[in-house]
Amino acid sequence: MWRDRLLSGLVAWLAAAAPTQAYDAYVSNEKSNTVTVIDTEKWGVTDTIKVGQRPRGIEFTRDGRFVMVAVGDDDRIEMIDTATRKVVDTLPSGPDPELFVQDAAGKILYVANENDNTVTVIDLGRRVRLGDIQVGVEPEGMTMSPDGKILINTSETTNMAHFIDTSTRQIVANVLVDARPRFAKFKSDGSELWVSSEIGGTVSVIDPAKHAVTGKIEFNISGLRREAIQPVGIDITKDGKTGFVALGPANRIAIIDAATHTVTKYLLVGQRVWHMAFTPDEKYLLTTNGVSNDVSVIDVAAQKVIKTIQVGELPWGIAMSPR
Amino acid sequence: MNWRIATGALLAMAASTQDGFAADPRYPDWPCAQAKVPEISVAAVWAGPSLDDVQDKWKDDARISALVAKLAARRTPVTDAEKDIKEFLAGSSAKVASGKVLFSGLFDTLNAQRSSVMMGLERVTRKQREAAEKIRSDSIDLQGLQSASPPDQIKIDQLSNQLLWETRIFEDRRSVVKYVCEVPTEIDQRLFALGRTIQQEIE
Repeated sequence: MWRDRLLSGLVAWLAAAAPTQAYDAYVSNEKSNTVTVIDTEKWGVTDTIKVGQRPRGIEFTRDGRFVMVAVGDDDRIEMIDTATRKVVDTLPSGPDPELFVQDAAGKILYVANENDNTVTVIDLGRRVRLGDIQVGVEPEGMTMSPDGKILINTSETTNMAHFIDTSTRQIVANVLVDARPRFAKFKSDGSELWVSSEIGGTVSVIDPAKHAVTGKIEFNISGLRREAIQPVGIDITKDGKTGFVALGPANRIAIIDAATHTVTKYLLVGQRVWHMAFTPDEKYLLTTNGVSNDVSVIDVAAQKVIKTIQVGELPWGIAMSPR
Repeated sequence: MNWRIATGALLAMAASTQDGFAADPRYPDWPCAQAKVPEISVAAVWAGPSLDDVQDKWKDDARISALVAKLAARRTPVTDAEKDIKEFLAGSSAKVASGKVLFSGLFDTLNAQRSSVMMGLERVTRKQREAAEKIRSDSIDLQGLQSASPPDQIKIDQLSNQLLWETRIFEDRRSVVKYVCEVPTEIDQRLFALGRTIQQEIE
């Protein structure tokens, strides 16, 4: 009895004494056909993994054992074993997969295939293809509502966010946004959906219940032409208070007051900033900078860039280990 | 017979090269797959204090203009250049002012370097277009010589040889262009990296 108590005390003590949590960030390098692994304690590169051609979308499986990476020019998704850091398996997708998203349980994967206007549905447990959903022309951004009921897919050519019911796999609503929607992100409470428009230069704020655009986030950087401001990647803190938007060739991240939907600060990061990921504790935000071939580390509380890490050529996506 | 096949191939090549030019109608002579961005704007690479009050000052400061020349040179590795910037600013009494002057010099110099590379690329495109036209007309002449009876073998050999050289030069230039197309981006990268280092140091 008291041995159990001693043991649990010991466990608690060990947990408290553990150093700051280190995570692994996996970065897909579109041009060098590699994935770079960054240790978030040392802020250094610990591994470079060879993958298929044109790696872009990248995600951890929910159990943290695998990293999935879409290799568009090889028309498939590869699975990297995080223990051995080698590609150990592939998943079937349609032609030219770019981005994908999994359901809350991590059992079903939805893949946007840029070239054939479909979203492929994959059973992650059995690693087989379950079917396809027809969507708009050139599907691009993909995200899942926090309750897992709605899948969002943005179409580059029709300029729409498609709402897909995950139980029936049917499109239930289409919301028109600005030109070339690239990426979509829900607030963690599901109250808002943000969609970035690369050419339109805005982020549309959508009420997911009403399927209506309720606001627009605009960007203005003096000395930069409008067309140089191209919003792509988005992330929002779990408390729903602060948003971050990558502005592509403007080389900046915009920090957004997520209540008023206005920009509070711009941070110069790297060239052609594309996607981003928080560490799970949300202390840091890492961004991929495609032209400067590096990753910027932002201290979220201080709203400052604290470090730049060189990775492979044309870094595109980034995924953070869940623990 | 062999030559007939070869001239046919040459004609096809010259034709396809001409079609291959100008992906962006605004810049008909731009030969690169990379989009042409005529100029870098200060705001794209600089979020530090305003540079309005330091314009051209770098030219009057011998130490800074020498440093600018060194840092802007492609033979200086970017990591070495970053080290030089840190050393220079660490030893400066007016860090912010020196950083601004240094950046303004790098911006002017690298932007000018970039423009001249881009102009050179467009000049080569125009030359290649002329060369393709010459290869095309020489190929037609050769076909004429070959179908004449009796064929003048000396003339045929001369023209064949000339065509071979013209083609080789054309092909060589084409591969050089592909390589040089990377240079404007490399200059962008250098300017951004050096600008970022200066900003971090004077913050």
